[in-house]
Amino acid sequence: MRKDSTWRFTMLGTIFSLLAVLIVVQLVRIQLNPEQVSHFLGQSDLYAGEWRTIKPTRGLIYDRQGHLLAGNTTVYEVGVELARVQNPHTIALTLNVVLGLDYSKVYDAVTTEASSEVATVVLDDFVPQEYIDRLEQFKQDINQTYTGGRGKEPPSLSGLVYQPHLQRSYPEKDMGSNVLGFVSREGVGYFGVEAKYQDLLEGAAQTVWIPLDPNRAEDLPEISDGASIVLTLDRAIQAEMEDVIDRAVAFNGADSGTIVVIEPKTGDILAMATTPRLNLNEYWRYSEVFQGSTPFNRIVSQAYEPGSVYKVLTMATALDSGAVTPETTFIDTGVFEIGGAYIYNWNSGAWGPQDMQGCMQHSLNVCLAWIASEVGPKDFYDYMRAFGIGHLTGVDLAGEVPGRLKVPGDSDWYDADLGTNAFGQGVSATPLQMAMAISAIANDGKMMAPRIVRSMVDDGQQFNTEPRVVGRPISNKTANILSEMLAVSLEEEASDALIEGYRFAGKTGTAEIPTPYGYSISATNASFVGWGPVDDPRFLAYIWLEKPTSSPWGSVVAAPVFRQVVERLVVLMDIPPDRVRQALITQ
Amino acid sequence: MENFRNLTQAYSQAPWRKQLKFIGLFLLLVVFVALIAGIYLDVTARAATIGREILIMKNEIDVLELVVSDLETQLAYMTSSNEMEKRALSLGFQPVEIDQAMYIVVDGYPADGYVNLAPPPETVKTVAASLPPDYTESLFDWLGQNILPPIDEVLGVIP
Repeated sequence: MRKDSTWRFTMLGTIFSLLAVLIVVQLVRIQLNPEQVSHFLGQSDLYAGEWRTIKPTRGLIYDRQGHLLAGNTTVYEVGVELARVQNPHTIALTLNVVLGLDYSKVYDAVTTEASSEVATVVLDDFVPQEYIDRLEQFKQDINQTYTGGRGKEPPSLSGLVYQPHLQRSYPEKDMGSNVLGFVSREGVGYFGVEAKYQDLLEGAAQTVWIPLDPNRAEDLPEISDGASIVLTLDRAIQAEMEDVIDRAVAFNGADSGTIVVIEPKTGDILAMATTPRLNLNEYWRYSEVFQGSTPFNRIVSQAYEPGSVYKVLTMATALDSGAVTPETTFIDTGVFEIGGAYIYNWNSGAWGPQDMQGCMQHSLNVCLAWIASEVGPKDFYDYMRAFGIGHLTGVDLAGEVPGRLKVPGDSDWYDADLGTNAFGQGVSATPLQMAMAISAIANDGKMMAPRIVRSMVDDGQQFNTEPRVVGRPISNKTANILSEMLAVSLEEEASDALIEGYRFAGKTGTAEIPTPYGYSISATNASFVGWGPVDDPRFLAYIWLEKPTSSPWGSVVAAPVFRQVVERLVVLMDIPPDRVRQALITQ
Repeated sequence: MENFRNLTQAYSQAPWRKQLKFIGLFLLLVVFVALIAGIYLDVTARAATIGREILIMKNEIDVLELVVSDLETQLAYMTSSNEMEKRALSLGFQPVEIDQAMYIVVDGYPADGYVNLAPPPETVKTVAASLPPDYTESLFDWLGQNILPPIDEVLGVIP
C-alpha cells in the first residue's frame, strides 16, 4: 500500500465510522425518548393491521324436529378494482346483459380514476350464485377468445370482482311466514320471531383489530355467530293447517281464516295458520300482500269480538264461582233485560226450561246473560282477568295486541256490557288469547303461557325453555265438568265437528261485527274451539273465519273445519281412536 | 514475569501479531453476530411463514363457513315440505286417511320429540390451557423480559 493513498483510506474509514456512530446515536436517542418511541410505535401500528366491523352470521330458525325454517344463503357483492380495469366497455355491457344494470351508470363508475381513496367501486349487491356463475363463464370465454390481445383494446372483464356474504333465506317460502317474520337486506328483523329475537339472532357486531402482520396471526379475533332458535312449531302440522284454512277460506268465501293449534298441557304452539301469507324470500311484496291495515299475523295482532265461543269462559266462571251448577234450571223466555238493554237468542226464540248443558248446547244468549248477572260484575271480570282477557299473553312474537275488556269503572262500561260480554260481544280478544284462556278448561284448570320458542342454541350449547303455568283461573273439578258438558253438547247436537271414534269437547261461535254505526247484520265472524281427546287432551284448536259468505253461522262454517283439523291432527300426532287407545293403555 | 517479558518482546519484534489478534477477535465477533442473526432470521422467517399460513387458513375457514351455510340451506330447500310432498306423490305414496291408520304398541319406539342440536350447558366449563409464551415470544421479547431492564426503569419514568 502506498503511503500517499493511506490518508484517503483513513478519511473514508473515518467518514463511514462517523456515519455508523451517528446512526447508533440516533437509534439510542429514539429508543430512550418515550415520545419518540410511542410516535414510531403508532406509525408501525398503522400498517400492522386494520380495524374492521364484523357482523356475525345470523342464527338459524328450526321447527321442533329440526327442519330448517330460516337459513342463510350465499350472495355476492359485485364491484371493480379500478386499477385493474382494462376495458370499461366490456364490463358495462356484460353487467347490463347479465345483471340488468344501467350501461352508462356502470361505465361512469368503472371509468372513475383510481386513487389512494377510491380503489374499488361497488356496482351491485345481493347477486345470487347463478348470476356469478354466468359472469365467470363470460370471463373464461373472453379470456380464451382474446388471449394474446387482438386489436387495440381487446374485450376484458379484468378488474371485475365478487365478494361473497350471507343473506337470509326461507326454504319453506310462505309456510309459517306469519310466525317467522322476515329480515331486510340491512339485517333488521320485521314481525314474528325474526323481530322478537332480533338481538339474539343477529349476534353482536364487533369492531375488531385485524392484524396483517403474520407474526400476530394468533391475535385474530373469534366472533361468535348469532344464536339459533328451535320453535315449538311442527312443520308437518303447520303445512296441513295452512292447507285446511286455505281451502276453508276459498270454500266459504271468507275474507280471512285462522287456525291456531296448541298443546294445552304445555302451552306449546304447534301451528299458527292464517291468511294472507307472504313468500318471505320476496318480502318486498309485503305491501302488495298485506293491504290496508291487514295485520301480519292475525292470531296475535288482530283482536275481534269472538261471540259464542266466549260462553265457555262465562260458564266456567259461573260453575267455578258456584253461581250455578250443571243442574241449575233456567226458564228461557226469549228475552233478558240487563242494564236497560234487552238480550235475545240467536234465533230470537224462547227455549223454555233449560239446564246448563242445554244453555251451552243451544248457545242461548239469554241464558248466558242471566248467568253473568248471577255471577255479578266483580266476580265475572275478576275471572276474565284471570283468564288473561284484555292482557297480552306474552307470546314470543312481535306485534301482539291485548284486545279490550271493559270493566266496571271504565268510562265506557255500562251495566248492559255484563250481559253482552257473557256471550262474547262488546269484548275483543285475539285468537291466541281465546285459545290460551280456554286451554285452562282442557288442562284441569291450569293456564299455561303460550310458548313458541322451545330452545336457543348458542356457543355450541342448547338452552331449553320450560312450560310455565301462568295461572289457575278455575278448579280441576270445574274444568272436568265443563269439558264433559261441551263434549255431550257436540254429541247431542250431532255437530259437523264430530269424528267417529274420537270424543272431543267444543263450542261454536257466531259474532256480529261491530261497525261505527252499530253491529253489522250482513257479516259475521264464525269461530270454533275444540280440544281432545276429552279424557286426555293432546291438542286444542281454535278456528276463526272472518266474514264467511257461504253461511253466517259458526256451526255451519267453522265446525266442519274443526273436523278436517282433527282428521289430520290425529294422524300426524299418532292419536288412536279412543277405544283403541284405552285398549292399548290397559295392555 | 519472565513470560510477560517474552510476550512483550515478541509483540515489539513483530507488531503484526497484535493486529492479527485484533482481527481475529473482530472476526470472531462478526461470526458470533452472524450466527445469532442467522438463527433469529430463520426463526422469524419460519414464524412468519406459519403466521401467513394461519391467516390463509382463517380465510379458508370463513369461506367454508359460507359454503356450509349455503349448502345447509340448499338441503333445506330440497327437503322442504312442498318438495317432499311432490316427491312422495311422484313415487306413488298417498296421504294416510284417518280410517287407514293402524295403531300398535312398539316397545322402545320414541315418540316424535324435540330436536337436540347441541348438548345442554355445562355447569363447569373446562378452559384449555393457553400456549406458553416460550412458543410465541421473539428473541427480543425474551431479552427484554429476562435480560434487559424495562425502558421505564432505565429512564426512571413514573407512570
